[in-house]
Amino acid sequence: MLKLENVDAKYDGFKALDGVSMNVEQGELVVLLGANGAGKTTLFNTISGLLKPSAGRVSLNGQDVTGRKPSALVQAGVVQCPEGRKLFPEMSVMKNLMLGAYVHRRDRAGMKKTLGHVLEMFPILNDKKDDAAGSLSGGQQQMVAIGRALMGRPKLLMLDEPSLGLAPLVVKQVFSAVQAINQEGTTVLLAEQNAFAALKIATRAYVIENGRLVMEGDRETMLGNEAVRKAYIGA
Amino acid sequence: MDAFLQQALNGLTLGSIYGLVALGLTLVYGILHVPNFAHGALYMVGAYISYFIMVEHGLNYWVAMLGAGLVVALLSVLCERLVFHPLRHAPPIHDKIAAIGILLFLEALVQMHWGADFRRMPTPYTEIFHFGSLTLPAQRLLIIVGAFSLMGALHLYLKKTMTGSTIIAMAQNREGAFLVGIDANRVAMMTFAIAGFLAAVGATLFAPINLVYPAMGHLVIMKAFVIIILGGMGSIPGAIVGGLIIGFAEALGGYYLSGTYKDLIAFVLLVAILSIKPTGLFTKGVR
Repeated sequence: MLKLENVDAKYDGFKALDGVSMNVEQGELVVLLGANGAGKTTLFNTISGLLKPSAGRVSLNGQDVTGRKPSALVQAGVVQCPEGRKLFPEMSVMKNLMLGAYVHRRDRAGMKKTLGHVLEMFPILNDKKDDAAGSLSGGQQQMVAIGRALMGRPKLLMLDEPSLGLAPLVVKQVFSAVQAINQEGTTVLLAEQNAFAALKIATRAYVIENGRLVMEGDRETMLGNEAVRKAYIGA
Repeated sequence: MDAFLQQALNGLTLGSIYGLVALGLTLVYGILHVPNFAHGALYMVGAYISYFIMVEHGLNYWVAMLGAGLVVALLSVLCERLVFHPLRHAPPIHDKIAAIGILLFLEALVQMHWGADFRRMPTPYTEIFHFGSLTLPAQRLLIIVGAFSLMGALHLYLKKTMTGSTIIAMAQNREGAFLVGIDANRVAMMTFAIAGFLAAVGATLFAPINLVYPAMGHLVIMKAFVIIILGGMGSIPGAIVGGLIIGFAEALGGYYLSGTYKDLIAFVLLVAILSIKPTGLFTKGVR
């Protein structure tokens, strides 16, 4: 579905991605493991079109989308739920969700249906729907962010560190939501530092270090790999 | 008491015009993240276009207002496309310099074409209403009603429509806006168009009780800056309330303190408010 070939990207003149090649197949839940500053967010922003690659090719279902605008990628079904959430803090939860469906704004019925689905997944958002998004707790804000991304009806959902800074119980909730989204047929690319929790729900995983993909494998291989365990699981 | 009410009414007139101009400035601030110094020039061009549609082409006041609104909206979009858009990756100081460049260019252009004379804009509304001992010229009533209707319409557009919300979304979180698929160019052009339209309509409303001349935008834009600093950069209610505060302060201060120094009042108030509340009146925390 998504394919990257030898993608380089520069960030403030510094080479943040170096020859990244990866692929994500329809229906998979692919985890991207890496420490802080390894290039996870840069890779996501390059796929989303926020950052233009300086070399290489990004394609979606065989179609070249290298260097396309973020709005074009959202139209094509690639939606990112970014690190730090990037909500519209002074707008209500409902408004945030509705803006998530911006590219489907002419399809009122479809928006309503997706909204019902999102509120079913995160019932707390229904209680908070008139509150300013910025006034919610971290976990609730993460739910708004995931909900907003789902409102764009992604074919490929990219989640950048959704568990960052959340309480363990909330982390569990977020991961089971991600798993449910994947099981309903949405392809997921998940960047995480919380390797064990992420690998448990993954189909496959990549490890990124200093802007390069250094390892790839399916769930069992990764969970069993000594280097991965040492670096990311701490066991 | 009568004098107070009369001055309050004058303050409301001034404040609603300041509010309109400051609204455009604050909306564009949400996109550019620097104050658009050229906004005062757009205000001035708006007054000139109205003047010439009315005086040279003999058309109706309302046609002139709409015409000026549309022409200046287009001019504002052109500024965005030709100047600010190509500078979007440059440091903010480039935007500021470019904005001053546009200001000087438009002023010089108007002066070359129409001269530096002071002109009086005619208005079809010359009646004067009396409420007890208060007098209210029809044009002032028109300013108040016109400005507040426009603010109301803008509020509804920004709050109730999806396209309007994109302007606010972009101001609150730029990357977040991109990631839901909002097209930055579209929002930028729309915002500049609205700001230009508001400036031209504000100028057309205000010009009949003022004068039309190439430097007419200077004081207005300086005060609009004071207003958006007071109200909090980028805040929409802040621009409206800030406009009214400055309007009232000027009218009342001009009457009770000194008419000579009335243009100073806005700036003194700015210093006073910023020393008590450095983030402005309506900012919620630091961005």
